[in-house]
Order: sequence, then C-alpha cells, then structure tokens
Amino acid sequence: MDKRKEMLPLTEAFYYILIALYKEPSHGYGIMQDTEKLSHGRVKIGAGTLYTALNTLLNKGLIDHFPIPEGTDSRRKMYEITEDGKIVVAAEIERLEELLKAGQQVRIDEKE
Amino acid sequence: MVERLEKRYRITMSWNYEKEEQWINELSEQGLHLKKAGALKSFFTCDPTTRFTYRLDYQPGLKKNRTMQDYLDLYQDAGWEYVVSYGGTWHYFRKEFMPGEPPRLYTDRESLIAQYKKIQRVMGGVFIANIVIFSANMTNLLSRFSDRLWGIIVPVMAIYFILFVLLGFGYVKTGNKIKKLVK
Repeated sequence: MDKRKEMLPLTEAFYYILIALYKEPSHGYGIMQDTEKLSHGRVKIGAGTLYTALNTLLNKGLIDHFPIPEGTDSRRKMYEITEDGKIVVAAEIERLEELLKAGQQVRIDEKE
Repeated sequence: MVERLEKRYRITMSWNYEKEEQWINELSEQGLHLKKAGALKSFFTCDPTTRFTYRLDYQPGLKKNRTMQDYLDLYQDAGWEYVVSYGGTWHYFRKEFMPGEPPRLYTDRESLIAQYKKIQRVMGGVFIANIVIFSANMTNLLSRFSDRLWGIIVPVMAIYFILFVLLGFGYVKTGNKIKKLVK
C-alpha cells in the first residue's frame, strides 16, 4: 500500500481535515470549526491552507465530493472521507502511537 | 455619490508578493484601502476611520465560474472579504484589522512551501514556453527580415531577453524562499 507511505506523516492540517470528515461529511467551514474544537483552539487552518489541502486530498482520492443534501439552501461544497482516506488515517494513528510509546518509554526509563 | 479613488504607483513582482501585501497594509493603516489592483497602478478608497488586513493569494485556473465561486465561498466562510483579482490569477482578500497576530491564508510551513512551489512552477513553465515561442519567432524573423537587423531583430531579441531575465530571476528568488522554509 504505497498510498499510505506517500502521504505519511500527515501535516496537522491534513490530519485534522481527515478526522473531521471521519465523523461525518462536512463543508470547508465545518472542517475549520471542527479542527479548532478538536485541537482545543490550538490548530486554526487558514483559508489558503484548507483550500489547497482539500484539492490535494481530492486528487489523492482520500476524500470525495459529497452530494449536498436535498432541502438545504446552502450551496456550500461538501466532502466525505473515502475508504483510502480511512486507511491513511488509521496508518497515521498507528505511527503516532508508536512515537508516543517510544517517547513515554524513554521518560519512564529515565525515572527508574 | 461617486466614490473618489486614489491612485498609487508601484511595480509588483510575483516573487515578492509579500512586499506588495505589506505596502497595501501600510496604506490601509493610513486610510487608503485597495479597490483595484494593477501591475503598475492601483486604486484605493479613502476612509481614515477603518483599517484592514489584506492578503494576496495566487490561484491560477479558476476560470470556470463555479470553481471561482466555490473558492470565494470558502474564503468568505473563513472571514475573508473578496476585494478584487488581478490577471485572473492573483486574488486579493481583506479582513477588518485586529490588533495581535495578523491573520494568514497559509497557516503552516508545508502549505506555504507548496504555494511557493506552485508559483515557481508556473514561472518555469512560462519560461520554457517563451523559449519555444522565441525560437519560432527568430527563425521566422531571420528568414524574412535578415536585412533589418536593428529595426526588427535586435528589438525583438531585447524584449525577450528582458522577459527571460525577469522570469529567471523570479524563479531563483522563489527558489530561495522555498529553501529558507525547508531548512
């Protein structure tokens, strides 16, 4: 699965966009808000960063366009995560866990 | 009431568009707010009671109305007011000025590098395209006007030469900006 290797490590922006969409399909504005909420206000994705990231993720097939639900008057473009996107997120979480464990182990060893 | 527009002159180069951004922001602090952008001449509205933070964005290929609208919607959702575009590729946005860290369009290093690379790629593309055009033109001109060296051939060569120098310079300058960020 080279798709995973090619994308990892994800930037914070890519990671938060993907996990925001993991929950449910959303539009750009929703992703920005979710990212701020999920990171407790630490990560704010700028409009340029988000716009480029969405285009990149679409091109790589990690996200897809989601049809705007009937009855909503908003014309906002919506996005959903694809199966490939989920695989990449899972691989990234695994990678982060490994980093975290290794770091924590070093600190435990130091204390002993 | 017809709004009076102030004119200001400045040569803008794509490889240091941040300088132009800074210039526009300083004028906004003085009460002159960009309305129409040009490569040489820009127009400003005068209102000393307000101040904006301006940002430039390079996005070529938004010709289709729908794509352009989606793009503007997203920036608007993020709180950016669309001001104007220049050449269909440079888009100007603004936000009411707030003290503290000024808002940016590109909030991480990776996306800023990608943005610079995009600008550099277009410069490189235009450079190569012009070499092809230049060669074609020269072959054509030399066969038809070989007797009018100073009247036609040299001026055309000079124009291309300036163009190549500018594009090459921009390419290298943008490359330096990328290197600085990658380090």
